[in-house]
Amino acid sequence: MIKLLSGMVLGIVLTGVLAWTQAGAMMFNEYESPFDVEETAARIQANMQALESNGWKLSGIRDPGRAVAASGGNVLPVLLVEACSTDYSKPLLKDDETRILSILMPCTVTVYKKQDGKTYIGTMNAGLMGQLFGPKVAGIMSKVAADQAKFVTFDPKKPAPPLIKVKPGGGGAGGNDIGGC
Amino acid sequence: MNTLIHSGWRAACLALCLVAAPVLAEEAAPPAVQKGASAPQEVVAKTGSSTADHGKFEELQREFASGPEVTAACLECHTEAAKQIHSTKHWTWEYQNPVTGQKLGKKNVINNFCTAVSSNQGFCSACHIGYGWKDDSFDFAAEDAVDCLVCHDTTGKYKKIPGLAGHPTYKVMEWPPKSGKFIDPPDLQKVAQNVGPTSRRSCGTCHFYGGGGNAVKHGDLDSSLNQPMRYLDVHMDAKGPNLTCSTCHVSDAHEVSGSRYNVTAADTEGARLPGQRKPGSAPTCRGCHGDAPHPTDAKLNDHTDKLACQTCHIPEFARGPLHTKMSWDWSTAGRLDENGQRIKVKNSAGRVIYDSNKGDFTYDRYAIPDYLWFNGNIEYTLFGDPVDADEVLEINRFLGGPDDSGSRIWPVKTFTGKQPIDAGLGTLAVAHTAGKDDAAYWGNYDWEKSLTVGMASVGAEYSGELGFVSTTMRWPITHMVAPKDDALRCKDCHRDHGRLAGLDGIYMPGRDRSVLLDTGGGLLALLALAGVLVHGGGRIVAHRLRRK
Repeated sequence: MIKLLSGMVLGIVLTGVLAWTQAGAMMFNEYESPFDVEETAARIQANMQALESNGWKLSGIRDPGRAVAASGGNVLPVLLVEACSTDYSKPLLKDDETRILSILMPCTVTVYKKQDGKTYIGTMNAGLMGQLFGPKVAGIMSKVAADQAKFVTFDPKKPAPPLIKVKPGGGGAGGNDIGGC
Repeated sequence: MNTLIHSGWRAACLALCLVAAPVLAEEAAPPAVQKGASAPQEVVAKTGSSTADHGKFEELQREFASGPEVTAACLECHTEAAKQIHSTKHWTWEYQNPVTGQKLGKKNVINNFCTAVSSNQGFCSACHIGYGWKDDSFDFAAEDAVDCLVCHDTTGKYKKIPGLAGHPTYKVMEWPPKSGKFIDPPDLQKVAQNVGPTSRRSCGTCHFYGGGGNAVKHGDLDSSLNQPMRYLDVHMDAKGPNLTCSTCHVSDAHEVSGSRYNVTAADTEGARLPGQRKPGSAPTCRGCHGDAPHPTDAKLNDHTDKLACQTCHIPEFARGPLHTKMSWDWSTAGRLDENGQRIKVKNSAGRVIYDSNKGDFTYDRYAIPDYLWFNGNIEYTLFGDPVDADEVLEINRFLGGPDDSGSRIWPVKTFTGKQPIDAGLGTLAVAHTAGKDDAAYWGNYDWEKSLTVGMASVGAEYSGELGFVSTTMRWPITHMVAPKDDALRCKDCHRDHGRLAGLDGIYMPGRDRSVLLDTGGGLLALLALAGVLVHGGGRIVAHRLRRK
């Protein structure tokens, strides 16, 4: 009996350790981009605009490195591309039980350079995260995940589009002096 | 609801970090170039410590029709200035390397940017410290041909335009051509009355724009250094030390110290401030920071016999808002649109990546340097040197090595190119690119005519066989010194695939392996573990035996 309980406790502990160490990495996806940071961000923007039929609108682009620079420091280039789809946000915002998920809005794709000189793309693992919040959210987030995959699929034959400088907080669908989404 | 929150709190927190950080970041986002910094140097010069107000000088109380007229007025008081300038590299564009014996300088080197000065003087001399150099007939002894204003202007209104043989425009002109933008001629009297010490801006007029544009050539010099913030350069920080170029590059009789042709790779003079060093001696980090620059970490000081300070303290170059050019492929130049017009294609950041005049370009920002051993001497591939079109040609080779006590590991920008060669002669080609004549490549897109004229300008006859060769050219990185918190860390180099992964000649713990050492160490660890187990096991067994 003691051996059985010990085994169970050990199994729980190991599972907990595994979850704790791996869960963070599972929450996000990272891809290498063949383009530089600006072009990658611009191509993601173009892909987002191409999915307007799913409600997607650009809602901002941010450079958090500029704040670091203002404080006197350096970080390698990073751009945050933001977009929002009312097709997906509305049902979440409609329901009191899921309104707190507005904290995940707008959808952000990060593009950054690493020490190896290469450009990487980071997205939230929307599919997995959605499953943590029940079937309704899972259903919506699985669609977001499918669109996210299209955001980061590039056609190298297409010329580099210009980076669209959407002003964060003031743009986006329905945005005015305060940004929409 | 609670279940929902608890089950997802971690995900939400992670997302909060993602969302909130950039929001905070954006609120504090600064302009790319510092505003509200301390007064520009020109203002300080005008109202500061100078004992002379040029606005009160009788010689300058008149209209000037040309730059040389201003120079003539300057020379009435500064009688030796032109003679001094005449002996400098800024004037001659020549440098004789005492070690390699090569005759260098802009006049002689063929680079992999715009390639060669010869036959293009009228264009290139926009960065010559003189007036009128448009061909080989230029009189290098003419005193009134010296341009005082290009270095001493403090108004920022004096600009030399490419194509005018070193002159500013004296009438309203469209610039760049066909751009629809027009520039006014400078008010030469006002400029002359407001001369002062050189500034980052005046030096940068040329040195920030080398290679055909802002941030193109060096990688560590561009217009973001006019009013830099601390992150970009701790020394030139406009709200901090606010050092100018001349703080380090002190001059004596107009000869400015420090040059990429004469680099002090390993300082043997020690702590000697700029101005106290040997005549012509280039400024160094050690000159100000001394022999033990890390007061609390002697281990870091131990590195100074192998590493240049720049290696750790300039972890990336082109850290301002501007991308620096990293490659230039001349072989694709000349493609025109369906109407036979020049094509310009921009990348997502707005920089031109294809130009019919010049070919294809690539860029980088926060570029990771390459690293190599360097003893201060650079050997060039010059016109006439043999070229193998099937091999990558080094336009310049940094000399030095791990066994050379005068060498240090330096960061460099490696600029790659593909440029024209005379395949018949087997040498780098001199192309005539700029000008309004029929042979200039920019506008006519005819290599045959361009190379015939270009090669003739250096006394060679073009064979008629056009070829292209892949090239590299390296530039020492020494500006844009980062705050110390952003210097490279031990792990950046002391690991597999670190910054110095490709550098031979030294044993680096963490990067390099010794099978003997590693095996011996592993065996020792195993023996120690075995000893502990045997000893511990023996104690347990002995204890049980005693209990029985």
